[in-house]
Amino acid sequence: MPLRVAIAEDSVILRDGLVQLLLDRGFEVTAAVADAGGLRLAIERERPDVAVVDIRMPPSFTDEGLRAAIELRREHRGLAILMFSQYIETRYAEELLGNDAAGIGYLLKDRVADVSQFVEALERVASGGTALDPEVVTQFMGASRRRDSISVLTTRERDVLSLMAEGRTNAAIAESLCVSEGAVEKHVTNIFSKLDLPASQSDHRRVLAVLRYLDT
Amino acid sequence: MLITWGSEPNSRLEEIARTVIETPFTRRTWSELVFMMAGMPIAFIGIAFVGVTMASGLVLAITFIGVALIGLAVRGARGIGGMQRRLAGALLDETIDEPEPFSPRPGYLGWLQTALRDRTGWKAIAYLAIKVPLALVAFVTAFSLWWDAFRCLTYPFWGNHGGLPEWGTVQLVFQPGYLSPGSGGPLVAVATVITGAIFFFAAPWPVRFFDYLDRLLMRSLLAPDAMTVRVRNLEQARAHTVDASAATLRRIERDLHDGTQAQLVALAMRLGMAKEKLADPDHLDVDQIRDLVSDAHRGAKEAIVELRDLARGIHPPALDVGLEGALATLAARSTIPTELTVSIDERPSPAIEAIAYFCVAELMANIAQHALASRASVSCAQQGRWLRLVVRDDGIGGAQAVNTGSTSSGLCGLADRVRTVDGNLELTSPPRGPTVVTVDLPLRV
Repeated sequence: MPLRVAIAEDSVILRDGLVQLLLDRGFEVTAAVADAGGLRLAIERERPDVAVVDIRMPPSFTDEGLRAAIELRREHRGLAILMFSQYIETRYAEELLGNDAAGIGYLLKDRVADVSQFVEALERVASGGTALDPEVVTQFMGASRRRDSISVLTTRERDVLSLMAEGRTNAAIAESLCVSEGAVEKHVTNIFSKLDLPASQSDHRRVLAVLRYLDT
Repeated sequence: MLITWGSEPNSRLEEIARTVIETPFTRRTWSELVFMMAGMPIAFIGIAFVGVTMASGLVLAITFIGVALIGLAVRGARGIGGMQRRLAGALLDETIDEPEPFSPRPGYLGWLQTALRDRTGWKAIAYLAIKVPLALVAFVTAFSLWWDAFRCLTYPFWGNHGGLPEWGTVQLVFQPGYLSPGSGGPLVAVATVITGAIFFFAAPWPVRFFDYLDRLLMRSLLAPDAMTVRVRNLEQARAHTVDASAATLRRIERDLHDGTQAQLVALAMRLGMAKEKLADPDHLDVDQIRDLVSDAHRGAKEAIVELRDLARGIHPPALDVGLEGALATLAARSTIPTELTVSIDERPSPAIEAIAYFCVAELMANIAQHALASRASVSCAQQGRWLRLVVRDDGIGGAQAVNTGSTSSGLCGLADRVRTVDGNLELTSPPRGPTVVTVDLPLRV
């Protein structure tokens, strides 16, 4: 059964493009709406698996999408949400993730240009994983008051940490760094022990642990 | 109690008489008296406060306390000046502009520095210093006149017990002993009452005179001076400019975000899809890829047009050549036949050129959208140090500079923009037209 996706995006060009892309990749698009109100209706009526939501939408063009997403998550357990924005705001990421990074994504709109990666992120989010834009992770790392302790990590470990924070599984990290999965596992163990983080098997827990570490 | 003088030529005299007779019964007369009476304690308490703090401040001037006391004197004088101003507003209908509020810099030292440099406070001290002798003379005069009037008018009722006024002007005129209590018969009583009546009708005028002096004093010492007013106007204009440029930046960001950026993302997305399809040579669907590429191609061209329009909205390239050429382009591009006359001897500064250009552009757009006009004309003429733009159309009229709604709402923005350089926008648009907008701009900012 194909994944059922709802889209909330106020730019017509982008909305049409997304619909075309998702249909082309075999998704079912249950609704494509232009604002938060429309999204709420579409979700109640169609119960999609995942919603792709633009942060900045009418009427105030600030963060309606984010507000709607946070509310929808509270009302509909298990609804996965991929926030989709032209800017990355660390504050938004924090609000969105809250205590539960399962089924949450936050990507720059540019990422659709790499269609496969975008689709992969969407699928990961839909199946309860996490997908954070590398930009989010960079901002967290840059703003972190723990830069000193990050410096105890080797370059390779830092790469792994970034990918881990984006929400990737060990297998995916291994693939993207062109190393074996065993090597990634070793790096991950090192990172957790060096940074004194609680080890966790579940991928989205790892994301939260890393981000919380960077944020405090 | 009207006195009729009968003949025409005396109407002026009649008027004066009427004024003299009516004046003691007007509200103004009594307000002025109350103002004078109330101003007296304020002035005395004020000068006492300032005098004591200032004197002890000067004695202790080498210590911090001394300087602080001087600051306190200045700050207090400002407050007393404010009271006096409010009193004048309430009783004399004399509206004196508020000086700029006391806004101390942060910290004790900041407060002290602001207080010591406070022109308003120092001027209030000067006011108090002049006001005190003035109030004294005024008070004695007013009190004695009114008191005498009262005593003389009521003489018959208590002539045996009291006698003539013992304190006041009457005593100066009628030497003591010349008329003494009980010394006169009915004749004296009549004479005294008549004297009282004269005093009664005369009394308002010295009071008015002293209040007039006080008004002059307050206007020059308690009102903000010309420089302060100018600075305040400039500050307002600057705030306007800052807000306007922030709004412009926001608009540009919005346009970029909603337009070009979205276009480019969609374009990249389509190219990404095409690229991935091409990477799979076994299932090549040429038609599908061609569609994607041609969509992307169209998107790229649209993005270029949008960017060009946006850039033109920020700074029209035509302005590089000069206002005349830029306006000619605007007129030529208009859908309504537009006649253009330009006579400029000297190039205005770039900011003025840009404002003039955007005014004409916006007004032409309004004409095309709302006016239902068949012709329009634009004239741009230099008049001394000013540039006058007149945009006229023969449309339906009824244009308004309003803040809401789409109709002509741009006019308000234009007026704001024009005001930032001390210019002026005037709109006349009667129902059924014609609409004429006149914009005056200084040649240099």
